[in-house]
Amino acid sequence: MSTTEVLAAALLLAGGLFYLAGTVGLLRFPDVYSRLHALTKADNLGLLLVCSGLSLLAGSWRAAALLGTIWLLGLLAATVSAHLIARHARARHFNGGEQ
Amino acid sequence: MSSTALYVLVAAGLFGIGVYGLIIASHLLRKLFAINIMGNAIFVLMVAASAPLDGRPDAVPQALVLTGIVIAVSATAFALALMVQLYRVTGQASLEEDPTEDD
Amino acid sequence: MTDLAVDVLIGAGLLALAWQTIIGKSLFRGIVLFVVFGLTMALAWARMGAPDLALAEAAIGAGVTGALMLVAFRRLVRIRPEQSAQPALRRSRLALPVAVLAGSLVAVIGLAVVAVERDPAVAGQAVAQALTDSGLGNPITGVLLLYRNLDTLLEVAVLLAAFLAARTVFGEDEARSPTPSRREVPLVGALLAIIVPLTILIATHLLLAGSREPGGAFQAGAVLAASGVLLVLAGRLQPAAGLSSWPALGLTLGLMLFSLIGLAVMAFGAPLLALPGLWAVYLIETAMMLSIAMTLVLLFAGASGLRRGSP
Repeated sequence: MSTTEVLAAALLLAGGLFYLAGTVGLLRFPDVYSRLHALTKADNLGLLLVCSGLSLLAGSWRAAALLGTIWLLGLLAATVSAHLIARHARARHFNGGEQ
Repeated sequence: MSSTALYVLVAAGLFGIGVYGLIIASHLLRKLFAINIMGNAIFVLMVAASAPLDGRPDAVPQALVLTGIVIAVSATAFALALMVQLYRVTGQASLEEDPTEDD
Repeated sequence: MTDLAVDVLIGAGLLALAWQTIIGKSLFRGIVLFVVFGLTMALAWARMGAPDLALAEAAIGAGVTGALMLVAFRRLVRIRPEQSAQPALRRSRLALPVAVLAGSLVAVIGLAVVAVERDPAVAGQAVAQALTDSGLGNPITGVLLLYRNLDTLLEVAVLLAAFLAARTVFGEDEARSPTPSRREVPLVGALLAIIVPLTILIATHLLLAGSREPGGAFQAGAVLAASGVLLVLAGRLQPAAGLSSWPALGLTLGLMLFSLIGLAVMAFGAPLLALPGLWAVYLIETAMMLSIAMTLVLLFAGASGLRRGSP
């Protein structure tokens, strides 16, 4: 295995760990806000690690750019959906319902 | 075991689950899940059972399945409209006389 | 070895998701699991060497079907809120044996087909040879538009028929799906400003690439419909009662253009629906993409027209 492959494998493994942590957080954390926190923060970092690992393996700038775009779009979607879910939860909280 | 045989078995399992769901589910939305799962099982069977030609997958069953996916979503959309209308008229989304009664 | 392991994981995932979708307690959770099932199906298609199907399944099978199911569920909840609490399952002594029999039947048929010795002159072989000189590098698009063109035409007709049937059954919905006059969240506007142009770009790419690479009118139409669904959800487009002229044109454009070109070639002595060249393929695919997107968005909105909403 070349150095690139070892580095890519390490990045992919680290990304997988972050996904695992994010999912455990999603399942174990008590309320909406901390679950969102676990999901968006850990998973976005996991996605970044997986994407960088894959672009090392792909070995072309085009593939790397596409993977980078995927990460940016994922970041964007996670940001807005987390915002909307938290906003909705807060509105319901103030209206007397539980999350 | 080859991947082909594996996917044929997965198709069989999905079809069985779909049939089971179609029988035991009483809510129409759930019956729709079951029908869609049965359809997907047949799609998997068609693609998995067609052998590749000189290393490339056979295009004819794939084109058939692509048509099938679009037809399935059309039928599902119509079925959903029927379900909502049935609910609006009768107040229940199942085809039984009394949903609480077991047979 | 690792290949087979991945296939086993995907297969087991499909079975587990299907089972949970059927027997799960909550209907809403069932819809979410069904969408996850569709995405896993897309992975399975990619593993089976069918990237066109993977794209179609992710966009149409998981995305559009999931959106339609969610919006139908919301209509049910609006009529009576305690929707999820209904007794979901009923007991039946016959269910398990019948299901096992049906599954075994599929397994036997499938394994028998796999075991059959293949005739070297199957249709796929002939198609693959004939397509190399047609200029369409993607065999699926080739089969759809050159060999099974009548089926593809009728498929667009079925989609339109489903829309008309749904409209007829449904009538004009007095409680419209997107709640109107809700103040828009600032971030949503920014998201739309990025996502909608990008979606149009991706749809165009899928359409143009569809002649050589995975992609085509159906995938592109579903992606385009996704941006329409977003606009409806954000209230930028609102359901309107009457069928105004441009949605009606959009709905029927694919069918009309395909039939017109297909009939017009007969005047030049060609058989029905024999497409005169690549330009006709692109023209028809573009029209079909617009029609498919319009039909799906209107099905989602539950209306026969759209009007511009206040942002």
